[in-house]
Amino acid sequence: MQVNRWLTIALFSSACAAPAATETPTLTDVALQEGGKKTSTDPAVNAHAAALAEFKVRVDAYADLHAKLAKGTAKLAQTEDPAKISAAKAALAAKIQAARAGAKHGEIFTPAVRPVFKRLLAPELKGEDGRDAKAVLKDDAPAPGTVPFKVNAKYPENQPLPTVPANVLLTLPPLPAPLEYRIVGQHLLLLDTAADLIVDYILNAITT
Amino acid sequence: MRRAHVIIALLLALPPAAAAQELRLPNKEGSTKFAVIGDTGQPGPGQTAIAEQMAAWRKRFAFPFALMVGDNLYGSESARDYQKKFADPYKALLDGGVKFYAALGNHDDAGQTQYKAFNMNGQKYYTFKPQNGVRFFAIDSNYVDQKQLEWLDTELAASGSDWKIVFFHHPLYSSGATHGSADLQRELLEPVLLKHGVNVAFTGHEHFYERIKPQKGVAYFIIGSSSKLRTGDLRKSPLTVYGNDSDYAFMLVEIAGDELYFQTISDKGTTLDTGSIKRAGDVGPNQNVTTQPVVPQAKPSPVQPGPPKPK
Repeated sequence: MQVNRWLTIALFSSACAAPAATETPTLTDVALQEGGKKTSTDPAVNAHAAALAEFKVRVDAYADLHAKLAKGTAKLAQTEDPAKISAAKAALAAKIQAARAGAKHGEIFTPAVRPVFKRLLAPELKGEDGRDAKAVLKDDAPAPGTVPFKVNAKYPENQPLPTVPANVLLTLPPLPAPLEYRIVGQHLLLLDTAADLIVDYILNAITT
Repeated sequence: MRRAHVIIALLLALPPAAAAQELRLPNKEGSTKFAVIGDTGQPGPGQTAIAEQMAAWRKRFAFPFALMVGDNLYGSESARDYQKKFADPYKALLDGGVKFYAALGNHDDAGQTQYKAFNMNGQKYYTFKPQNGVRFFAIDSNYVDQKQLEWLDTELAASGSDWKIVFFHHPLYSSGATHGSADLQRELLEPVLLKHGVNVAFTGHEHFYERIKPQKGVAYFIIGSSSKLRTGDLRKSPLTVYGNDSDYAFMLVEIAGDELYFQTISDKGTTLDTGSIKRAGDVGPNQNVTTQPVVPQAKPSPVQPGPPKPK
């Protein structure tokens, strides 16, 4: 399991060396297609790595968009007034929701990368570590039905953020801030933790 | 690489009722003094009583800062919640200049990192050094990714501090029935802690107090009962030196030279546990040669943890 974990990290790190698709901080289809071409058409790169490389292009594009929008009233800054934290988060969420109004399920977790994530998750949720991981997920689970599986939806404020089992986290491709993985039930979420937005998700990512 | 090992010694017998409110710390001039609270974010009589006790004890033991081991705000996190769940109950301490340093729990939103009173400076994990010779590391145990592990490794290596104290939410060792030891976090964090000679870890998540037998040279405390209590959840185990799941609690800690003294106090102001940790000697970078600390057997707990036995 450990070998698989480090192989995954090494593979993803290698994939990360692929040229960035664009400086444009918006998620345009053109930019994403360019990013995809630069990796997926390389015959030396296998399909697994190509899917992960494309995933990286997409999460980086999201992080760039986030950084561009997190300015002005939407900038999260140190404050003694918690109302300003809430207001900045709400402003940021609104700006991202507007900028990604047309975003669809699968835009970041593409059909090509979903099976890769399922394969990465499966061994970490089997055996003794798997039992521990499932216990952690159950332990911190939000109340059933409270998390909307909808792109651009807000993660419910009153619900705990499920702890991501450490063994699972090391297996998955690293993410740029402020994106994090969260697992709710059998499903994998990509969460913008600064805006509390659901960026994308894979339903039934855990099949074991 | 310098590696200290830890010797725990029970300073005093658990106090009789008449002496229960005595300060059991040396209260030396120039020492590092602080409080530790955990799972604090639920308003109610427990939280209020603990905050009042902290303010009262501070008159005798002037701690300038307090560690929060996560779950700082349960439920919603509006401005009113920050007020009701933190600023109001700890007003006397805040007005008195006490600085709170927070770690994030599984109920905490990342927005808390921007709240000045939590002194996180926008970071989910961070380090600070209040005085020479002591450095603290707040870890985000909700999300132990490669980036954070590398940060921790780098910061611990660079610290050069005599005392290295970590605080985070999920206990790497626990006798709790509800959660138990966070094995998966332990698999990744413990090697880093051992590599750099971390001395003490304060955690929460379990809603009780437990002092764990030092593990591989690291002293572990669980103090997750500062506003929530899960009575009957502590199943005394071979890990347990002392435990209490029937009283809300907080800790007072003092570091003077090579000794760390602790006193755990209930919402009623009674002393639940007390003792000291003494560092001694240098240990090489190979964790296999770490000397297991000597832990004298504590006197029987005044509280028998765990649920009543079925008849």
